[in-house]
Order: sequence, then structure tokens, then C-alpha cells
Amino acid sequence: MVALTIDNLAVEVPEGTTILEAAGSAGIHIPTLCALPEIHHNPGACRICMVEIDRARTLVAACVYPVANGMKVKTNSRRVREARQRVMEFLLSDHPQDCNICQKHGNCELQQVAGQVGTRDITVPRTDFTVHDIDDRSEALVRDGSKCINCLRCVTVCDNVQGVHLLTPEARGFSSRVVPAMGHSLDDSACTFCGQCAVVCPTGAIVEKDHTGLVWAALEDPSKHVVVQEAPAIRAQLGEEFGLPPGTLVTGRMITALRRLGFDRVFDTNFTADLTIIEEGHELLERVKTGRALPMITSCSPGWIKFVEHFYPELLPNLSTCKSPQQMFGALAKTYYAEKEGIDPADIFVVSVMPCTAKKYEASRPEMNDSGFRDVDVVLTTRELGRMLRQAGIDLKDLPDGDYDAPMGEYSGAGTIFGATGGVMEAALRTVYAVVTGKNLPDLNIGAVRGLDGIKQAGIGIGELGEVRAAVAHGLGNARTVMDQVAAGQTDYHFVEIMACPGGCVGGGGQPLPATNEKRRLRADALYRDDGEVQHLRQSHENPSIKTLYDEFLKEPLGEKSHHLLHTHYTAREV
Amino acid sequence: MDEKITSLEALQAIARQAGEDHRKYRLRLMVCGSNDCHLTGSNEIIDAFQEQIRGRNLEDQVQVVATGCIGSCSMGPVMTVWPEDIFYMKLRPEDVVELMDSHVEGGHPVERLMYHDPATGQAIAHSADIPFFARQHPIVLGNKGIIDPESIRDYIGQNGYQALYKSLVALSPPEIIAEIKTSGLRGRGGGGFPTGVKWEFCANTKSDVKYVLCNADEGDPGAFMDRRIMEDDPHAILEGMIIGAKAINASQGYIYCRAEYPLALERLYAALDQARSMGLLGKNIMGTGFDFDIEIYKGAGAFVCGEETALMTSIEGKRGTPRPRPPFPAVSGLWGKPSILNNVETWASVPRILFGGGEAYAEIGTESSKGTKVFAVTGSINNIGLVEVPMGTSIGEIIFDIGGGVSGGKQFKAAQLGGPSGGCVPAEYLNLHTDYEAIVKAGAIMGSGGMIVMDEDTCMVDMARYFMDFCQDESCGKCTPCRVGTKRMLQIVENICKGEGRPEDLDLLESLSHTINDASLCGLGQTAPNPVLSTLKYFMDEYRAHIEDKKCPAGVCADLFESPCQNACPVEMDIPGYIALIRAGRLEDAYKVLKRTNPFPSVCGRVCGHPCQNKCRRSQLDEELAIKNLKRFITDHASPPRPEPVPVVHPEKIAVIGAGPAGMTAALEMKKRGYAVTVYEALPEAGGMLRWGIPEYRLPRDILSREIREILDTGVALKTNIKIGVDVSFDDLKANHDAVYIGMGAQKSAPLGLINEDAAGIIGAVEFLRDYTMGRNVRAGKRVAVIGGGNSAIDAARTALRLGAESVTILYRRERKDMPALEAEVKAAEEEGVAIDFLVAPLEILVSDGSIKGLKLQRMRLGDFDASGRRRPKAIEDSSFELEIDMLIPAIGQQAELDLLFPATRIDDRTKDTITIHAGGNTIAVNRDYSTDHAGVWAGGDIVTGPAMVIDAIAAGRKAAISMDRALRASKGEQPWHETEDRIEIPVEVDEEVEEQFQIRIRELPPAERGRNFREVELGYEGNMAALEARRCLRCDVKTEE
Repeated sequence: MVALTIDNLAVEVPEGTTILEAAGSAGIHIPTLCALPEIHHNPGACRICMVEIDRARTLVAACVYPVANGMKVKTNSRRVREARQRVMEFLLSDHPQDCNICQKHGNCELQQVAGQVGTRDITVPRTDFTVHDIDDRSEALVRDGSKCINCLRCVTVCDNVQGVHLLTPEARGFSSRVVPAMGHSLDDSACTFCGQCAVVCPTGAIVEKDHTGLVWAALEDPSKHVVVQEAPAIRAQLGEEFGLPPGTLVTGRMITALRRLGFDRVFDTNFTADLTIIEEGHELLERVKTGRALPMITSCSPGWIKFVEHFYPELLPNLSTCKSPQQMFGALAKTYYAEKEGIDPADIFVVSVMPCTAKKYEASRPEMNDSGFRDVDVVLTTRELGRMLRQAGIDLKDLPDGDYDAPMGEYSGAGTIFGATGGVMEAALRTVYAVVTGKNLPDLNIGAVRGLDGIKQAGIGIGELGEVRAAVAHGLGNARTVMDQVAAGQTDYHFVEIMACPGGCVGGGGQPLPATNEKRRLRADALYRDDGEVQHLRQSHENPSIKTLYDEFLKEPLGEKSHHLLHTHYTAREV
Repeated sequence: MDEKITSLEALQAIARQAGEDHRKYRLRLMVCGSNDCHLTGSNEIIDAFQEQIRGRNLEDQVQVVATGCIGSCSMGPVMTVWPEDIFYMKLRPEDVVELMDSHVEGGHPVERLMYHDPATGQAIAHSADIPFFARQHPIVLGNKGIIDPESIRDYIGQNGYQALYKSLVALSPPEIIAEIKTSGLRGRGGGGFPTGVKWEFCANTKSDVKYVLCNADEGDPGAFMDRRIMEDDPHAILEGMIIGAKAINASQGYIYCRAEYPLALERLYAALDQARSMGLLGKNIMGTGFDFDIEIYKGAGAFVCGEETALMTSIEGKRGTPRPRPPFPAVSGLWGKPSILNNVETWASVPRILFGGGEAYAEIGTESSKGTKVFAVTGSINNIGLVEVPMGTSIGEIIFDIGGGVSGGKQFKAAQLGGPSGGCVPAEYLNLHTDYEAIVKAGAIMGSGGMIVMDEDTCMVDMARYFMDFCQDESCGKCTPCRVGTKRMLQIVENICKGEGRPEDLDLLESLSHTINDASLCGLGQTAPNPVLSTLKYFMDEYRAHIEDKKCPAGVCADLFESPCQNACPVEMDIPGYIALIRAGRLEDAYKVLKRTNPFPSVCGRVCGHPCQNKCRRSQLDEELAIKNLKRFITDHASPPRPEPVPVVHPEKIAVIGAGPAGMTAALEMKKRGYAVTVYEALPEAGGMLRWGIPEYRLPRDILSREIREILDTGVALKTNIKIGVDVSFDDLKANHDAVYIGMGAQKSAPLGLINEDAAGIIGAVEFLRDYTMGRNVRAGKRVAVIGGGNSAIDAARTALRLGAESVTILYRRERKDMPALEAEVKAAEEEGVAIDFLVAPLEILVSDGSIKGLKLQRMRLGDFDASGRRRPKAIEDSSFELEIDMLIPAIGQQAELDLLFPATRIDDRTKDTITIHAGGNTIAVNRDYSTDHAGVWAGGDIVTGPAMVIDAIAAGRKAAISMDRALRASKGEQPWHETEDRIEIPVEVDEEVEEQFQIRIRELPPAERGRNFREVELGYEGNMAALEARRCLRCDVKTEE
């Protein structure tokens, strides 16, 4: 242990602790705009966290400076306060002062820290403002270099967490900004649109592309029959947009809110999550029986799909041909549902609410038109839905519970846990076990695939199949590790689940901000609560609406209609 | 494949052989083959010599060697002939035949190609006797000019690699480190961290893998010491690194060198190959079992990569940006492994230390800074080049003694030390010792040894702008203060240079500097504000001039003036305008232009100190314009504009004390503005020093009288023979006038402060000249001595000669170049027969019967530098001698008779409504608007500034009048006065092609005809001479459309 004083408080912390962490443990909150310990990011770049120590000539960055015995730290001297205000003044002098109309308004760390350090005036020249191009060519993300403060968090998350290595600081000095390498835009690069950069960005420099206007227009168009689906994770996230504690399940209130916004039908992506399990489970069984392209790898996560297409095209045959639940929903809404309700599919407008920015891209993929129309018309992130509700004056906290509409609203707990890493695997194993053995798993909870460990493995004996070996990874960096092993033939997995985002969809690029691992854990807990405590059905094949769907429309898993509407193909892409 | 060297004997055998190889030749012609000499043609010279040697069949006797840089870059191409040590400079291929005939074959060295002492003009044959070389102490550059940089045998011949052998065989790693610690060696790259301590730190860190790194990413503007060491002595670096590797137990080293140094890279690669093939590098070095190899990493030339953590990040293949410290590289450096990084000069010092011993090295230098330092001396200096001196050598010695002083005879202003991270120090710091701590205390840093000399023509604000621009350009952009802060500082400084600065910018710059220094991630940002901070500290006046007066005193910031000459003129005469009018033949119009801001143009055409000419851009081409003579030509050949009486329109009455140039100008300007003005003059006629101080042979009296009459013709009243304080009290004068201007000058010669100064035959220069002019009975002695070096000393000497003195000697305590008198005046005096004795000062006045009979004098030598950049004279003990004279004219300065004006005022008496007097009691203090602390009283001219140029007095009178009028009007709520001048169209006629053409000389009375009379010596231009001279004007005032 190391003993030091911080602002005259005696503090004892383990060796290797940074001053910032040590101060935090003593209840002293040192502001910073770049350091982000959860992604091991502390470049010492923003210089907001500067403190005074007795053994240095200059101020030091608390986020990187390790404590030492006997060190005397001042975090609140005049010298420190004035330096922080000046550095903030520098940042603001090269930052658009358009906070009130910025998408990050109210959620901007720069704004919050500026308030905390107390900068009140910009005395340096503000002319020679750096103008950077706005990259809004992709369907998912918008990058505005003029709002970039060079904290480099996006670079680290893209390099170290996601392993995509797309972003890099460009140019020098005052013109230096983070951009996709080699002059690419996000659109024509290997960007997976996972949106983790937008999650860590302290300003509005990388945000999701806002599609709320399209939804408002559809809702206001009397000729449109507007239906909405919400991803499993939304019910455990949306509350945060209204100040509820992370991990609050708001399913019923969310349904009421959506109905009040004016959606004609409120359905659920969980329904097609159950459907995915039926299709994917059968696909797995078929592959295990034939030994074709094992391991089979999940295909629910669109960021992951794009990642494989760029970086592991040789493994494309291993991807499940199942569309993601979002896209299955869209395809069915404009066929099955349209037929059933007698509505012209041309008039049906499908909105999905996703914790994900890559879903925006997925919905725009050219092959996602199997209904004869664009299957999903607009994808909103959790944050966008929160904005729409606030615009409409709907406070989620105050709402009564509502119920889903039929026929695409009923779901099992297995569908819900799709939102957490390992959830798809757990749901699939439950159903595969039942299909193969005709019995339920003795314990439906498969603990080995739950939790935030980067790579999880499990082996379950399934009747005549013997042991089915499974691996689960979340975050593309972890996915890379597993894929390298798979590509090298070093594994004997049958089934691998990959989610692009850390924690799975509860940690998606569209989640409420700010995001921490603790919040992701609480959200996942809420989903497992929904599965274990709220829903009486916990296996996808038990969902009555799914049975009806097969009886009335699809006939059988992997059948002709399924093949046409629910399965897809992939494209190798260049890096 | 060379044989591997595995013993000391083998090394020594090669060394012996190298010596013998050299002795085979009767002469070795060591021609500098470095970049600069190469650019000036050294290759052609080498080729020419080789051809001659072949042609004369001298191949066995004479060898030509292309050596490394010997530092004297501005003398290049240079050559030293060994073993005679005869030094030649500025060689051209056509000199080769003569050198071969006369020196190589004839045995007679060629004097004309040698270095010539600038003071004596004598040729100096041996480089050891040339101050540039003699005062240096080469250790790191010890092989300069001696070895062929591409030959490892030459390096071994100078005891190379013996220190390595010792380190591998005889010393343990702790003993190597102890030796370095004993030497006191500190990092030569900038920080000055003790090298031994750094090594020890790394040696004590446990790790299987460690690295030894060499920072060869030299990037300071004007710095080239590392480059030259790499190019000229690459093995010294390698040997140092291998020793360092042994000390910390590393097996891999890297040299990080910028790709812009192709020759350095080529020679380093060659040296690596040679060392490997001789078993000095690689596996099992010198058979000792120690493995170490070096790889070269080529950097792209980013300045920030000189920062150690950025350099390592760059070698790792990433964007070269710095990382936070700790962890320090000695613990976690390249690829996270313990590493030591030193720069080229540090590494090259290591073998010398190990060879000669740490103690011997530590004997050189100062207490805290041991050894020698290489400086790259550039800028406005005669001997641009590389200089290696013991630490502690004063910067004055480097600049003046070794560097040969400021080029072009300009005044030294400042030296920028330590590159963009450093700071500049003014002339007050010429005695500053080059010691790490002392330099930091002065506001700069040692840095890697850049020294840029700046003269009076450098604008310090512009200089700060340049370095700020460099730093913000080279910022990597990683941390906020450096990325944004340096840009914002640059913008503020740019605004100031454009005349858009605000008074609050000065505090803002200082405050921004402190934040950027305190908050930046790496050394680049932390030191980036230093050039601004140091110029703010020492040159605040220049910043103020830019901000408050919108003036760039040095004439650099182009947005602030029309032309450099006009900018330099204290009354901002439209010089290009009247020169253009001369060229167009419109002399009457030209005269009007002269009179706009200067009521004494014909006086100034004769006796002005012409600061305008010092700034003339034509001097960069051939020679400055003769502006003074052109001005005189107008007044000689056109009739002056007729002065119109000006009606009095204001009730206020103005009194002016003193009818000299300051007083008369103030009076005229107030008159023009409609006031009733009366000038009170103690003497019988107006003119002040112009009449009483300047001899008639320089300024004919009718010329002066005419210009005074033109002033009086406007209605200014003149009352002569009224001495304020004697005939009328100052208080009475003040009571009867609404505003008083004091322009009474400094009318008394300053005393020498010696006993017997009241003896007969002693008269001050001012009194001597005045008494003669007034027609009093003034006689010159037979043997006259004048003490002083200013214009009045020259005037007194030349007047004494004209009054019949048999001999006149000027005694001056410094050297000729230090004389404040105009060079032309000094020359004229000498031509007429005045003798000048330098480096001498009076000790005693020898008297007999109450009359002077001689002087006891003392010889002086030059000591420390004073604030003017000149060396202070110091007495040489036991050097006194006597000089027999019968007349002594002290001319060491002038004083005002302030006690007459304010009998009750003492220096410490600064209550309200009295005058503040400067310490010393000789001049009046004025505010920025020329008002004194006494309400309603203004002052200007010599009484404020001490003796200065006529044009300064005219400017003082003019400026005081402007603000006096403004104040009087402001008290009545009136707007300031604006002069309505008749528009004179200035023709724009510029020669398309500018050909070299020196000044058209004016006609002068030949010395023989000057004799002992007071006829005017300078006779001015005649006929078309002025028009020809006017054609030389480059018309800097004409802005071309871009």
C-alpha cells in the first residue's frame, strides 16, 4: 500500500493506483475528458485532470500519474483551478458554441466538465476556427470533426476493445483530428457501425444518425399503418432516459408510451427472437448432423456480420444463415401480418427500436427486401426513442403498463435474454436440448455463458448428439481472438455466439449515456429477471404465437418460406 | 573481409599504420568536405587539386583529403595544409594553380587566401592563431579536419575504439557508470540530465531486454551540431553507444535520425558496416563475448520526435506522439523495456571521457556544467559555424571573440539560445556563462546548443512570432494546451505584428504562457511559450510600440509602415516621396514634403545621424541610399515654401524655454495650431547646439539662420538673452503662460572628475565650441588632447586644429569600433591630421603654475561586456604614462543646468507639481505624452534624453506640441487638430531591372584645402548626381498587388 495526502487528506491505496483513482477513493472527483479506465484509456491528453504534486515542476495529469509514498497532492489549488479553466477555454475556443442545438445537449461531457471547472469567458482569439467536413454518408453514424476534442477514446475503443483499428489522429497541431485512416469516410471503410465510438465520445463528434424525423413523418401520415418492434434490451434501458435506475424493467410502460406516440401496433422483437431460435436451432442440428461448416456462428449482431465480411471472409460459411430477429420481424410484418390483417404491405411502415447503431445499417442492406419492400423502414436507437418521447411530453416514469398487440407481441424469456451476451446461446441450447431429447434441460439457467467475461465456454451433453461445445464472445476484440483460433482450426466448438458490443445488446452503440460496465451488468440482470421471474414461458418453442406462425404461414423450420423470408447470405468485403 | 580486432595491440597497430600512411606524404591538403563547403564549391577544388597533383606527378608526395566540417562555415570552402597547419579560406578553383605553384611546390604559402585580422588587416597563417579556432576547445569535435570521416582507420588512428576496449575488458558496468558520473557529463540534447545517473537508473532496472538509443532527430532551426558529428565522426557515436550498452547490459541499439540528413545516414551506415566487419559491433565484440548491434531508424522529420517518448513511440511504428511520464524510459521505454536515450553529442563525448578519464573531463567547465559544449552559431554574425568551447564560456566571447561579432557592423540586440524551446537574452547578458543553470535563470535554455544572433534590425515581436509559429506547426496535437494554446498565442502575436494588438494582450500572453508551460504533456509544449516569455521580459518596449504606437521600431512588421526608412525616421519624413520627386525633377514639391514634418531639412541634410539609411533595403543589394545627401540637394537647389503668418485663434499663451531644435520645433507646431508662442533663449541667438555646438565647416550659419527665420516668420516670438532662473524665475514664467515647454538642452560639459580640473588650459568641448562661435577670445593650445569618442570630441578636435593647434590627439578608452561618433566624421578628422589613441584613460591632470602641462594616462584593456554590447574598458596595472599637453578638452558627455530652473528641486523631491528628475539628476522624466509631473509643463530634447541626434530633438518638439495641443483642447472639450496639407502626388516610377550601383558620392573639399579654415567640407550633389542617386531607390513604399 502507498500512503499519501490528497488535499491534506491522508489516503492509502494499492501501489500502481493513479492519483485520479486515489482521489476518487477519498471522495474527491477530479474531472477529466479523456481518461476512461474501463477501456484502459489514459493518454494524458486533455489535461483537464491536472493536479499539483510536491515533486514536479509542472502540473501532472492525475489520470496517468501513479501515487507514491509521501506524495502531497493538491487537486484544488488556485494554480490547478486556473489551469483547468484555461485548458477548458482552449477547448471551447475551437469548439462550435452550438450546444443548444447539438444532439449531445444535456449528455455532453464537455458541457458538464466546462461547468464543473467554471470557465466563464473565452479570452483567446476565436477566429481561425477549424472547419472539418461532416461525414454523414453512412446510414448509422455521423462524424463532425469540429466537435472532436482529440480525447482519443474512440481510437482506443476501436483499436483495443473492438479490434477494428479504423480511427487515427490525422494531421498535426491545431488541425489534428481523429478520422478514419487513409482518407476514408465511415461509409466506405471497414467500420462495423457498432457505435462504441459514439458511446465513449465525450462530445457530439460521433453520434448516431438521427432518424426521428422519418418516424414523425410516418406517424403523421394517415395512409401509413405504422408498427413498431423493440429489441430485447430496450425494456431494460429505456428507463434510464427518464432517470430511472439502470436495470429497471419498463416493458409495460414502454408499450403505453409507444402507443401514445401514435404507433398503430406495438409488437416485440422478442417474438422474432424466439423465431430465430427455432430456425437457428434447427440449422445447428442440421449442421451438426452433416458436419457442415462447424462451428456455426450466430448472426444476430449486424456489427459482427460486417466485421466478419471485412476481416474473416473465409469464415462466412460458418455464419448462421438466419437473419437477425429485427429483419425477420420486418419480413414477416410485410407478409404474414399484412396478409393476416388484410393491409397492403406498401402501406405498412416498420419502425424498430434498437440498442444498436449497426441495426440502422443492417436495415439498409440491399438484401433486406425479401418482403418485396424494404423490410424495416426506420431504426431508432434507445436514445432516439427517448428524445421522441421527451418531445411528445411523455414521461415514461408516470405511465401505466400496457400490453403488446397480437400476433407479433408474444414472447418467451428465451427471447428476452437475447439482449445480454450469452443469451442467444442459452436460448438456443434450451430449445435444441428439447428438440433432440424431447425433454427440458434439467436447469434452464446456463450460468457458464452468462456474465461479462470476454470469452465464455460451455459444453452440454445433448442426448444422441453427445456434448455440444459452445463459445460466447462479446466485443469485437474478443471475437477476433476466438475467430483467429477458429480460422486456425484450434477449436472444436459446435456453436459460437458473437455480439459486437461489450456486454451484448445491453452495451450497444445506441444505449443510454453515459455507459459503464456496471450499468451493462444491471441491464443484463434485468433481462435475466424477465426470463426467470416475469415470463411464465422460458423456451422459444413454447411460444404459442410462434406455433401459430408456423401453422398458419411458415409451415416448418427451414422450410421454403423460411428460406425465402428468414434466411440471408453474406458478402466478402475488403478491409 | 577485414580481420577482427580482438586486442588493444591490434588497435594500436592500426593506429600506428594510419600515422605512417599519413607521414608518407610531404603535404596533406585537408579540404573541408562538409555540406556548407560543398555548397560553396569544395568538390571542384578537390578535383582541381587532384588534377594538378596528377599532372605534376606529385601523387606520392601530396594527398588531398575531404575532411569533416571544421566549423568555420562562413569562410568556406576552407583548407588546412598539414603538417604545417596553414589555413586557407574562401577558395575558388582558379586559386588552385597558384597554391600548387607557390605553396606546394614553391614552399611559399599564399597570403592573400589566408585569414586576415579584421582589426589590423594582417594575414594569419596558422589556424591555431586565428581567434575563431584558437579560443575553442575541441573534444567532441576533436577529430575535425584531421580525419577522413569515411575511414575507420583514420578514426582508430586518433585512438578510436580504445575506450571501448577498456570498457569491455578492464571495467565493470558499475565502473563505466562511475567514470561517466565522475566526468559530470550531462545530456547535451536539452534537458541537461546527468548522464551517469540516467545510466545507473536503467542499469538497476531488472529486465532481460534493454535498449540503447541515440537521438539524432535534430530539428531546431539553425542547429546542425548533431548532423556534423554524424557526418564527420560517426564512429565516435557508435563507440559511445557500445560503451553505454555494456554499462546497462543492452544488446540492441537504435539511432533515430531524420531522413533529411542523407549524408549523415550514408556515413552512419558505412561506419556500422566497417565496425561490424572489424568485430567492433555485432556478436562477440572484440572477442569479449559481448553482443550488441545498432539499427538506424529513419524519422520523417517531425520536431516532436526529438522528445524521448515520442521518439520511442515512433520507432515502435506508431504515430510519433509523446507518452506521459512516469514511467520513465529507464524503467519502461522502447517497447516497454528499460532504455537509455542520449543525443548524438552526448554519445560522442562518451569515448573521450572513458579514454581520458572522467576526472580530466570534469576539470573543464563550471561547477555544475562540466566539459565542453558545441554551439551552432548563426544569424547576424560574421563567423557562422560550429563552435566548441568549455562550458562557462560567456556568450559574449562566443559571439564577439570567436564569432567575430555582429555582421554588417550592426548593433547586437539579442541571442536566441536553445532553439524554439529556448529564449532570447539581450545585450545585458553578454557576460552570461554557458552553464545549464545560469542560462535557465536568464530565461533561456542550453538546449542542444543553438545560438542565433540577432542585430538591431530584428523585431523581437516578429522573432517571437516566428518561433511560436514553428512550435504550433510542430505540435503533434495530442494535448490541449499545446494543440490549441500555441495556436492562440500565435494568433495574438500575429495580431500585434499587424498592429491589431490590444493592451490586455500582454498580460494574456504571459498568462497563456504559464498555463501552456504548466499543463502540456511533453517538453515541446512546456517550452513552446519561452520565446514569447523571454521577449516579453526583455523587450516589452517593442511590444508596447507595436500595440500602443502601432510602430515596429526595427522596421520588420510590414503592416505597420510604408517603408523602412520612413519608419526609422523619428519624424517619419516621407523619404520615398521626396526621393521620387527628385527623380521626377519636382524639387519645389519635394521641399514641401520635407517641411511637412521637419522645419530643419537643410540642417538635417548636413548633420543628421540618418537612422533611415541604416534601414535602407538597398543595402542588401549593394549599398544604402544617400538619403541625407538627397535631402540636402533639395534644400540647396529649390526655394523653400514661403512661410505664412498664422493667426492666433486660441486664448492660451505658450512659453518655450530654449531656442534649439526641440524648442523651435515645438514653438512652430504650436504656432501652426493657432497659439501665441514665445521662445525664451539664454544666448544672443536662436539655434541651440546647432549654432553653438556644431562647427561651421559642418553646418554653415546662414543655412541655420534661414530655417530659424522661416519659423519666426509664422509669428513665433523670440526673446533672446533671457535665462530662465536668472533673468526670470521659472515660477513667474509658468504663472504668465498656460503651458510651458522645456527644451533647453544639455549645455555643460560633464566633468572628468579629476583633481585640478579647474586649471587653466582645460575647457569642456561644449564650452570650447560655443565660446569660439560666440566670437569670444578662444585660442587653441599647441598640443591639444581631447578626451572622448563622440561627435563633440571630433568637432572639438577638428576645431582646435583649425584654430592653430600643432597637434591634436583624441584619447579614447575603448576601441575604434566602439566610438559613438559617425564613422565619416572620424575619418575626416584623421584625414585632417587628428591623431586618435585608443584604449587609454586619464589618471591625473598634471599642472604647473595653475596651468595644465600634461596628463598621466593609463592603458586599458577590454573586459566584460556592458549593456550596450561593448566591452567595458579595464585599467591595465602599471601601464601609466605621461603625455605632455598644454590644452585639454574633455568631451565625455553633457549636462543640463537643471538647478537653475528648479533651485528647490532635489532628486528625491517628487511631490506634486514638481519635476521628476532621473536618477543622476541630469535629465527630466516625462510621461508617454511628453508631459512632466508638473501640471502644464512639457519637456523634450537633450534635457529629457541626454545628448542625442538633432532629428531626435526635432521629433521630441513635434510630438510634445501635438500632445500639448491635444491636452489643451481636451480641457475645453474640443476635438484634436488635424493638419490640412496640400496633396502632392508622388510619382510611381520604378526601374524594372535593378542593377548593382553603389552610392553616388558627394563632392567634398579635399583635406589639403580644408586646412585651417571653417569652410564647409561637404559640398553636396550637383547637376544630375542627385537624380541618379534617386533612381537607386527601390520604392519599398509602393505595395504591389498580390
